[in-house]
Amino acid sequence: MNTARIAVLFGSVTFLAAIGTVVGVFDLGLTSETIVFVGLVAFGIGLVGLSRAHGDHHHAGTPDPEQRTEVPVPGRSLTDAVDAFRGMKSSVVVDSNRLTAKIRTAAIVALTRFEGLSDEEAVRRVEDGTWTDDRTAAAFLSESEELPSRSIRRRLAAVVNRSDETRYQTGIRHAVAAVVAVSTEPFADEGDGSGDESDRSAAEFSRPIDDRNRSSLSTYGRSSVSHARSRSNRRTTTDPVEDVTARRPRPTGHWSGVGAIALLAVGIGAIAESPAVVLAGVVGVGYAGFAHATEPPALDISLERTVSDDDPEPGDDLEVTLTITNESGAFVPDLRLVDGVPPGMAVTEGTSRLGTALRPGESVTLEYAVTARRGSHAFDPALVLTRDLSRSTEREQFVGAETTVVCEPSMRPLASAVPLRDATAAYAGRIRTAEGGSGTTIHSVREYRKSDPLNRIDWNRRAKTGDLATLEFHEERAARVVVLVDARLAAYCAPRPDAAHAVDRSVDAAGRIGASLLATGEAVGLAAIGPVSRDATGRSSGDPCWLAPGSGRHHEVQFRESLATHPQFATLPPDGNCHWRRQLRTIRRQLSGDSQVVFLTPLCDNASVEIARQLEAHGHPVTVVSPDPTADRTAGQQLSRVAHRVRAIDLQRAGIPVVDWPDEESLDTVFARHAGGRR
Amino acid sequence: MTEDGDGGDLGEGVTRKPTVLLCIAAAVAASVSVLSTAIGPSSAVTFGAVGAVIFAAGLVRSRQSALDAGALAIFAGIVIGGLEQTAVEPTVVGTIAVVVAWDLGHSAVALGDQLGREAQTRRLETVHVVSSLLIGLFAGTVGYAVYVAGGSQPVAAAVLLLLAAILLIVGLGRRRGRSAVESRSSLSRNR
Repeated sequence: MNTARIAVLFGSVTFLAAIGTVVGVFDLGLTSETIVFVGLVAFGIGLVGLSRAHGDHHHAGTPDPEQRTEVPVPGRSLTDAVDAFRGMKSSVVVDSNRLTAKIRTAAIVALTRFEGLSDEEAVRRVEDGTWTDDRTAAAFLSESEELPSRSIRRRLAAVVNRSDETRYQTGIRHAVAAVVAVSTEPFADEGDGSGDESDRSAAEFSRPIDDRNRSSLSTYGRSSVSHARSRSNRRTTTDPVEDVTARRPRPTGHWSGVGAIALLAVGIGAIAESPAVVLAGVVGVGYAGFAHATEPPALDISLERTVSDDDPEPGDDLEVTLTITNESGAFVPDLRLVDGVPPGMAVTEGTSRLGTALRPGESVTLEYAVTARRGSHAFDPALVLTRDLSRSTEREQFVGAETTVVCEPSMRPLASAVPLRDATAAYAGRIRTAEGGSGTTIHSVREYRKSDPLNRIDWNRRAKTGDLATLEFHEERAARVVVLVDARLAAYCAPRPDAAHAVDRSVDAAGRIGASLLATGEAVGLAAIGPVSRDATGRSSGDPCWLAPGSGRHHEVQFRESLATHPQFATLPPDGNCHWRRQLRTIRRQLSGDSQVVFLTPLCDNASVEIARQLEAHGHPVTVVSPDPTADRTAGQQLSRVAHRVRAIDLQRAGIPVVDWPDEESLDTVFARHAGGRR
Repeated sequence: MTEDGDGGDLGEGVTRKPTVLLCIAAAVAASVSVLSTAIGPSSAVTFGAVGAVIFAAGLVRSRQSALDAGALAIFAGIVIGGLEQTAVEPTVVGTIAVVVAWDLGHSAVALGDQLGREAQTRRLETVHVVSSLLIGLFAGTVGYAVYVAGGSQPVAAAVLLLLAAILLIVGLGRRRGRSAVESRSSLSRNR
């Protein structure tokens, strides 16, 4: 503190002396030796400063709130994909952690499911290598077979193409392609598509699996951010912000090095007695002084956000207008703002970022458009970075302006009938049952019993033969359906990281199924299995969704509201897993005996199969509708697709109908096809 | 396009490239500084040209180290030119231009990385350009005035001025550090 004052004092005195020398009031006897000495000192200080200042630029990184939160693609890594096969085997257990053993398990599972082999037969075929035509794959998974030696032509080709693939990698690639071929053969029309597939997986296999993350790391390393914030972050902050949360200013190092260079120049100029170079140094010193002179103003801004439609339909474009007002009495020379677009929505037009300068009391507006997606979306606080006029310090603030957009699912009734099981409640409806009784479709003719109503007696037969007989019609009853949505963490996956994930599709499907069933007079309920709270800490933030089967307009509104706002159906992936067994037990207890379940699940893990089986075993007929989230771009993704198919087959073998819903098709088409297949 | 073409291949992401206006201003300033070396010896011109190329590459690829290196090379050219000639004006103008170019280049990269090229940043950029130029012109004018008025002892006067400036910066810098601490404590008090 004292040294600072002394420095300022001496500085002022020296300044006066310099002015005096310039004006010629007194003649300072500075010899050239003194000047050279001062020059050398300046040169030395400059060098030291320069070595310290190198690469010292910092600026705060910004997240990417304008994009939707990304969800994983099933089979992100090959290990994950083959691990999924582990729980699917019935008797043969090859319990090893080696990738080869796991792929062998996958091959056995695929053979038993798709070729209809017994376990022993499948093991034998994998062992003697007769399960596939691909010799490399056969030898790779077998312990007795030898790998075919590569032909000279192949080796040359490998050298020419500079493929750095080892024999192990080649083996894995071929084995995975062969497993995929086993699973596609019964369905594939194009005959042997394995060659084509192996080429494709080859292209992707050599690529690191997590290349996306890696590239984001490398680009983030450039702007040396002091606090970790990953590039793929889709939110400005997850902390609640009431008004303004400011962090303390940080130096940006924007001018670092300029003082050192200036001193170097002055040193060189003094030694060489070149006034031009000394003056160049003086200019640099001026900038260095500027860097130290100003401070970032204390920010006092207010945000006001308006959204063109508070209650939009999914897919609508929403205009967002953000007004930023400088409430303080000071000029804000440098303000950078990133609006906290909700993680479930994506900016489609304009940008949600603004860089501006604000005079006292002035306000600017920022306009952009987002596409509404289903769910309840709350805007995050805006990230505001301010710098002082010289850009040498930066302050980070979060400014809250609460806006919430609730977008309810459309609930358009389906064009085709919802596939339901033959389980109905005791009251009249439109589902034709196998039982005889009153109705509209002839079921059978039986002997007359005393209490039969007159209008069901077959009078034609009575006129012809004199016997009394009674017509039986198919009873028409109502179904009691509970739509169950799988919203566990594992269900948040999609064929592409930014595509609509399986939970989004499930919830949309739940809305449409509910609407069509309610329209035909069935009693429809709603339930979900999945984490209730989005943050890892808040445990008791609510109950899992349960809406008992019912019908009527009021019930439909409740159904729709639950789908839109219940936290279990949030479009944002949860942070952690949940106790699905406990939730399933609760749901089972609440289900009445005659209810059937439409279970919407991507079948991404074995737990989803387990849920369907348990419900079926407890006497609730289950129909599984499975939005398929798998892709086929890499070997791991192809194996995940095989695992998905295996799960569907396992369920079908257990008597549970599975409606597979590919990503590119509409639910109407899928249901129509399913109904056609059943007939 | 560039090897670190971040965001570009993600499609809808933010194009984290240097902002346009600051880039143009930085390029113009860099050209002025290179022009100022042109009247000097050929070695100065070489330094200036090489520096300009590195600087431009840094702007295109948003590499801050390239900006540093390029600006340093141009400045080296200016210093070499300044040692060889008697007129101080080209050196002063060149120095201002190169510091402005370096400043705006870094601002462009940082702003582009934080807000992206698409964001509306015009007002912010204008304030940057104007403030950077004004400071340079002020410092240059003061130095030049001292030089002109100094008469017999320009270098001695300049050295004295410099000492004064350093002492003042040290003193003010200390005060600034202290006031930052104070503002931090006042912030925590507010909470």
